[in-house]
Amino acid sequence: MILSLYFKLLLEFFKIGLLSFGGGYATLPFLYEIAEKYDWYSIAQLKNMIAISSVTPGPVGINMATYAGFSTSGILGAVIGTLAIVLPSVIIVTIVSKIIDKFKSNIYVNAVIRTLKPVGCALLSAVLIKLLFTSNLQLIGVLFLTAFIISACIKKKDPLFYLGTAAIVGLACGYLNIIGV
Amino acid sequence: MEKSFFSIFKTFFKIGILLLGGGYVILPLLTSELSEKKGWLTSDELCEYYAISTSLPGVIAINTAIFTGRKLAGTKGALASVCGVITPAFVAIILIASLLESIVHLRCVQYVLWGVGIGIITLLFLAVKEMWNKSVTDRYAATVFITALFLVLVLKISPEYVIIFAILFAVILQKVKKYKGGRQ
Repeated sequence: MILSLYFKLLLEFFKIGLLSFGGGYATLPFLYEIAEKYDWYSIAQLKNMIAISSVTPGPVGINMATYAGFSTSGILGAVIGTLAIVLPSVIIVTIVSKIIDKFKSNIYVNAVIRTLKPVGCALLSAVLIKLLFTSNLQLIGVLFLTAFIISACIKKKDPLFYLGTAAIVGLACGYLNIIGV
Repeated sequence: MEKSFFSIFKTFFKIGILLLGGGYVILPLLTSELSEKKGWLTSDELCEYYAISTSLPGVIAINTAIFTGRKLAGTKGALASVCGVITPAFVAIILIASLLESIVHLRCVQYVLWGVGIGIITLLFLAVKEMWNKSVTDRYAATVFITALFLVLVLKISPEYVIIFAILFAVILQKVKKYKGGRQ
C-alpha cells in the first residue's frame, strides 16, 4: 500500500509541474484540488502553508510538495513529492534550451501562451473565491480584509507586512474574545 | 570554462536560501550572484532565460535555475542548480512541519493562524489583480477568462482538464486562422 502512496504522490506532483502555467501561485488551483481529493493535507493546512511559504525559502508549489510528502510518509515521501514537481521542468527546459529560437518564434507556442495567461488568472480567481467562502472570517475578519485590500490598492506593501499585521490582528481579536476560533 | 558540480550547487544553494516568499526574486538574485559577482553569464542571458521560463509550465524560479545550470555545465550543471535551489526550501519545510504539528493546537497559535488567513486572502487578491492586469488585455482574453472560470467554478471541472482543453483550443484556433489566411 505504501508503494501505491508513493506512486500517487509522484503522479499528482508531476502533473502540477507539467500543467501549472504562470508561476507564483499558479500551483494553488492544483494544490487545492489535491486537498479536496486526498487526505494528504486539509484546506486549513494548505492556508497555513501559503503563509509559511511566504516567510521561508522557496516557491509555494515546492514547499507544498515537500509538506504533503512529509506529512503522509516521512522524509522519503517528502523527497518523492519535491522531485516529482521539478522533474517536468528538468525535461521541458532541456528540450526547449536546444530549440530556444524556434520556440520563441513559433506561432502555436505564442497562441497557447496567450490563451493560458487568462486561464491561469481564472483558475487562481476560483481558488480565491472558494477560500473566501470556506474561511471562518466572521464580520470582524471581513472588515479587516476590506481594509487590507483598500490599503493595498492605494499602496502595495511587502507580503510580510500583510501577514505580520494580520497575525497581530488575529492575536488581538482572539484575546479580546471578539472571534470564535 | 566548465564549472564543477559543487561550485554550481553551492551558488544555487545560496540563492535558494535568499529565495524568500516565492520565485519572483530569482532574476535579481541570479544577476547579482552569477553575473555581477562571478561573471559566469551576462545579465542579458539571464533575462532571456527568465522570460522563457515564465512561459513554460512549472515553477518559474526552478525553470530559470535549470536553464542557467545547463548553460554553465550541461546536464550536470542543470542537476547541480536544481538540487542547490530546492535544498534550503526542503530543509525549512521539514523543520517547520515537525514544529507546527506540536504547536498548532495552542490557543495563541490558533488566533495567529486565524489572522494570517486574512493576510493570505489579501495576498491572493493582489496576485489575481496583477495577473488580470497583465493577461486580460483584450476581448479574446476576457472571453477565455470567463469561460475558464465557468468551467472550474460552475461545472467543477478539474484545473488539469481546463489547462489541457485551453492548449488544444489555442492550437486548433491557430490552425483554423492559418488555413483561412492561406485561402485568401
